[in-house]
Amino acid sequence: MTEVRKGRTAKRAASRAVKRRALAIAADGALILYFLFALFPVVWMVILSLKPANELFSTYFSFTPTLDSYRTVLGAGEDEGVPFVRFFVNSLVVSLGAVGLSLVIGLPAAYAAARWRFRGSENLMFTLLSFRFAPELTVIIPLFVLYQQLGLFDTYVGMIWVLQLVTLPLIVWIMRSYFADLSPELEQAALLDGYTRKQAFFRVALPLVKPGIAAVSLLAFIFAWNNFVFPLILTSSEAQTVTVGALSFLGGDRPKYNLTAAAALVSVIPPLLLALTIQRYLVRGLSFGAVKS
Amino acid sequence: MTPASASASVALRGVHKSYGRTTALDGIELDVAEGEFFCLLGPSGAGKTTTLKTIAGLEEPDAGTVELGGREMTGVEPYDRGVAMCFESYALYPHRSAYDNLASPLRSPKYRLPGAEARTRIHEVAELLGIERLLERPVGALSNGQRQRVALGRVLVRPARAFLLDEPLSHLDAKLRQAMRAELKAIGDVRHTTTLYVTHDSVEALALGDRIGVIRDGRITQTGTREEIWHRPYDTFVARAFGRPLINLLPGTVTAEGHFGSAEGGFELPVDVPAAPGTAVQLGVRPRDITLGEAVGGALELTGTVYVTEVLGRATEVTVRLGSRHLSLVAPRAAAAGLRVDDPVRLSVRPESLLLFEADRPERPGRRITP
Repeated sequence: MTEVRKGRTAKRAASRAVKRRALAIAADGALILYFLFALFPVVWMVILSLKPANELFSTYFSFTPTLDSYRTVLGAGEDEGVPFVRFFVNSLVVSLGAVGLSLVIGLPAAYAAARWRFRGSENLMFTLLSFRFAPELTVIIPLFVLYQQLGLFDTYVGMIWVLQLVTLPLIVWIMRSYFADLSPELEQAALLDGYTRKQAFFRVALPLVKPGIAAVSLLAFIFAWNNFVFPLILTSSEAQTVTVGALSFLGGDRPKYNLTAAAALVSVIPPLLLALTIQRYLVRGLSFGAVKS
Repeated sequence: MTPASASASVALRGVHKSYGRTTALDGIELDVAEGEFFCLLGPSGAGKTTTLKTIAGLEEPDAGTVELGGREMTGVEPYDRGVAMCFESYALYPHRSAYDNLASPLRSPKYRLPGAEARTRIHEVAELLGIERLLERPVGALSNGQRQRVALGRVLVRPARAFLLDEPLSHLDAKLRQAMRAELKAIGDVRHTTTLYVTHDSVEALALGDRIGVIRDGRITQTGTREEIWHRPYDTFVARAFGRPLINLLPGTVTAEGHFGSAEGGFELPVDVPAAPGTAVQLGVRPRDITLGEAVGGALELTGTVYVTEVLGRATEVTVRLGSRHLSLVAPRAAAAGLRVDDPVRLSVRPESLLLFEADRPERPGRRITP
């Protein structure tokens, strides 16, 4: 009797193991399918960027790979009349500028919003958030007119100013929750140690949210870097960025998809590098142990 | 202005503070003399921490005023009040070493000391607290007890007009706590700095406080020396707050002769109760004020049966059944040695050690009936 029962339980365990295994394989299969789907456009772009111009429209995968597209894009090959390197520098300047400006304004604002409840503080925060959920298209026409009138059209200042609409709300909202997570007793201790409120902010609160600053700066940078609508409408050549610039290879008598692909891939590099270098700061948990748990 | 190091008296006048609908402080009146070591005792949520933070200027009272050294402090920023506070949460800077935490006040514009002097001072304090070997460690790598000592060190390292200590020994083990308690007492005596010491431990309060304040529901119930608090508690809440085993509180009524009678206990004691006959009252008697054996020389006698005995080292706690009530007493071990459960016992108690209280009401504990 017991033998039989033992045999049965063993059989049941075995069938369970098989089932689990099958499930794992199915999950892996589904994941692989998903990755093929997700990565295919990227692979396609890489292939496209390596194709020579004459094989651009071939429908088979064999071709002589060449770096000509990259050479052209970076200004080393024959000039196609598109100053892509300048667009690249522009993108760096306006994105970093917007993030920098937003940090200078946004960090104190986030701190104030986290620590003090003042008349209209919630309304203010909501207004900031509304910058994020209102589509840029709703304001772009009036902004265009305004920029024309004020002489901000196609300038760095203009672009930084407008991209800051994208980055500031992000920084204020995320940093507010970081500051809110800090025990106010840390700054209170600093006040009693003889520091002013400003010193308490700079010496105690700010160093403790460094991981947050790193994370949110990266995010804000990516948002600014990838923005398309603002540079499309508010710049023409001087302050144009990579997102719009990469598409200019498609203009003219013949669209040069290989150049667009190369330009797009080059413009992925800065956010990617930034993400890799900043990675270790993204790990939170520096502030653990501050306060008795 | 007085120098930052001169000790100052601390006073709170009718301080109210509420957070939304909850009232934290409900009219606190407090006077702590210059150089006094004052213990504030109360259960959690009584408003002890809020009281300290209000004195430090970290919380603005809704009504009432704080005075330091006789000067009203309304609108004075925390860093200009010159008080030092040890937080219950330690509030150490987690991104710095223990040394840097201790050095923090000495690097501030307010209490800056030249490098060498600061170092000497920090090492003195660290030695006093037994944390010298931990100075280079980040505070995240310290145990709770070690962090607590660093937090205390950050207070002691600087000159202060008053020390505000919020449960500063709560996370130390018993032996270390005893040693630190003695150190704190010694520091208080030598430096003569006004100290407000918050605790929920009555033993600590009795050991340290020149005077003790008992706080409950945002109000100071009673302040006094340890003798006053012990022998003349304001109400049953204060009486219960001090002494282990807990004080015996026996409910009863005033008899026709004006004596205390316990219906459930089945006894009557010829003590005069200054209340109308029939009034519900409580008789309080501390376990150490009851002795086993026949009453002699004016002592009062009660009889009951042994319910349970429990050895507490050199003494024994005996719980005696009186009718349907229990009464605990502490007797020398030898006197209680032969006692078995259900043995009849005679108890004697001096009438002057008895306390009489009104009956407890749901909204407030019964007050002591004079004398």
